[in-house]
Amino acid sequence: MDFVFSQLAGFGDAFADLVLDPLTYLYLVTSVFLGITFGALPGLTATLAVTILTGFFGNKIPLDYSLIALLGAYVGAIYGGSYPSIVLNIPGTAASAATAMDGHPLAKAGRGGEALGLTTTASFIGTLIGTVALLIFVWVLLLISKNIASPEKALLALFGILLSGTLMSSDLVVKGWIAGLIGLAMAMVGLDPLLSEPRYTFGWSYMLSGFQVVPVLMGAFAVPQVIEGLRRAEIGKMAQLNDRIVPNLAAVRRYLPTITRSGVIGTGVGALPGVGEDVAGWVSYGVGKSVSREGKKFGKGSLEGLLSAETANNACIGGALIPLLVLGIPGSPPAAALMGALKINNVIPGPTIDPAIILRVVAILVLASFTMFLMGLFTARVFIRILRIPQTLFLPVVMVLTTIGSFSVGGGINDLYLMLGVGFVAYFMNMLAFPIAPLVIGVILGGLFDETFRRSLFLADGDLSVFASRPGAAILLALNVALILSQIPVVKRTFGRLRGRTA
Amino acid sequence: METTDDKAVMRARDFWASLVLMALSVFFLWRTSEIPFLDARQGGVSGVHWYDSAAIVPLGIFLCMLVLSGILMAISIRAGGAKNALSSVGLGWNAAEALRFGTLAVIFLSYIAALVPRVDFIIASGLLITALIYGYHAGKPARMKLAALVVAAAGIAAMTMHYPQSEWDSHGDDWVTLALWAGLTVWMLWNNRDDRVLRIIPWIAVCTPLILVCAMAFGFRQNVPNRGGLIFSQIEYHYYVTLRPLWRD
Repeated sequence: MDFVFSQLAGFGDAFADLVLDPLTYLYLVTSVFLGITFGALPGLTATLAVTILTGFFGNKIPLDYSLIALLGAYVGAIYGGSYPSIVLNIPGTAASAATAMDGHPLAKAGRGGEALGLTTTASFIGTLIGTVALLIFVWVLLLISKNIASPEKALLALFGILLSGTLMSSDLVVKGWIAGLIGLAMAMVGLDPLLSEPRYTFGWSYMLSGFQVVPVLMGAFAVPQVIEGLRRAEIGKMAQLNDRIVPNLAAVRRYLPTITRSGVIGTGVGALPGVGEDVAGWVSYGVGKSVSREGKKFGKGSLEGLLSAETANNACIGGALIPLLVLGIPGSPPAAALMGALKINNVIPGPTIDPAIILRVVAILVLASFTMFLMGLFTARVFIRILRIPQTLFLPVVMVLTTIGSFSVGGGINDLYLMLGVGFVAYFMNMLAFPIAPLVIGVILGGLFDETFRRSLFLADGDLSVFASRPGAAILLALNVALILSQIPVVKRTFGRLRGRTA
Repeated sequence: METTDDKAVMRARDFWASLVLMALSVFFLWRTSEIPFLDARQGGVSGVHWYDSAAIVPLGIFLCMLVLSGILMAISIRAGGAKNALSSVGLGWNAAEALRFGTLAVIFLSYIAALVPRVDFIIASGLLITALIYGYHAGKPARMKLAALVVAAAGIAAMTMHYPQSEWDSHGDDWVTLALWAGLTVWMLWNNRDDRVLRIIPWIAVCTPLILVCAMAFGFRQNVPNRGGLIFSQIEYHYYVTLRPLWRD
């Protein structure tokens, strides 16, 4: 009980600090507005919003304020994706793809305002559920993580890359793993962390410090979006909103168990390394469809379906921050961008992170979700107007934003070459259905994996059993092996036959 | 829903992708072989064991990549990807898409490699925004070609006039780019007098980079590209010499 009270007291202090600082509101309102706008505009994503703001705010204002800007944009963008999903039947972000299944039929039936009011409420409650989970689990995991040594860290980083490759791949799983390996390979460039041996620098001094995270993120997420989006596109037919945008409290009360379940699912999926809000939305929607008595109405304008998807994708935010803050392993692509911001501020997420940062993150998430809720209810029609802007008008501006953002982070012109190179590679990877998220996770975790893997072997004089000598390491090794084996067709078939026999 | 045609295209593309990945894996395995690995000696002192060598992790990565690209190739061949690889199905790109991507690549390369380092950021970005919106808003190939041609001309002029870094502050290429930007804007407005969208391009093209570069330089006090550029050098001079003393004093 003392633990809970001390947590609440710590959170109360951080929240009071935040609320009493007038600058908080400037950053919060601006970033949530920008986030919703980015989420609402098809072609721009939550990851892009956080990445671009990282370029701008990452190391230019104190970390306390840049966290407000980045988390505000993150929360706003995940919610903002629901606007085009409902009004245009085009998901603004991948996270709100499941929202379109029931949101658009509701809008076509003249209940668009009710659908928007409910998604706003569901996103608000979802973010709060994820935040509460973050407040509780981050401390429990921090206590556990103090016992984590190099072998566990190496295996955890590998698990994050493998899991991200497995779950984020829309085509073959092998492509997700290859994308993760490309990211790992990119992280090998520069001086190695133990012996300072130059690797793959090709005699270029800029490469000695390795690839910087922000230009890689900008290249991976912004440039392909710009290339893909610069084509003639008709704005779809918008569903008319005749009713008022208000939260339907009766529906919220009625579907409270669904909201709670979706919040828990979203948080859980978010806590998986490298798995984003889109997976959370679909998993929650799928579970809702199979367990609900109204399951047959899903996809035809079901309020429960809408709540399942929208609560989960926002709850995923808090979940995604748990592995980021505790282990330094981002739980989703926007969290990877957030990690880039922490890194350029010399904050190393993991067991040694300053607890004040965690409490501030929790307080910011609560305040950001309130801001999002109020903006969603009172300024929704502004965002619906924004949907009419063609992407050919705003994507060139995004290109200029990424250029100056990338340039100013530190590496100058060389960072721009890196950004463009990664951008072209990422565009072709998208075209060939190789997921980008595992690549970014690979780049971010590559250094950690390299250092901890070799340190483990060094301390064990090359004895490979070091990766199974401790209970934690043995469990993680088993998880890695099981994850790989579970994707091999022969093993899949054997398990299928065994299941058939036992059934 | 993925159709059979989509799958055929994807498997054919996988064939090419696996070939490229294999070639890259082999190349980087060769590069990795240059990193000290098995009991290497440096200056007569036993230095590196296999397990603390800087090559061990990259070696694992590129070997895994080679194996996985082999698996990808096998999947592709089994699904008929190799058979379709040289047909138009295999590439999955038509002439219109190739033109769109090709012109965009020319514009981005010219902007990042030639214009941003050498030309004033406001002028270079203004030209980029104008070219991209005009070239791609209506999806007309002739406009895409014109947009790429103008940006490439500015890029070539910048590269030929002031290639070495010591000359990046010179203004000759700024004037050429400014003239090309103004020319493209006038051409665009003259030939599309009824298009409301095109009428707002000059506003976006001027305001966006101007606000961004000023916010970065004076708000966040960050480095911005080409500080000695034609317009920005004047803004910076008047900010520090004319404006700032007003509130400093």
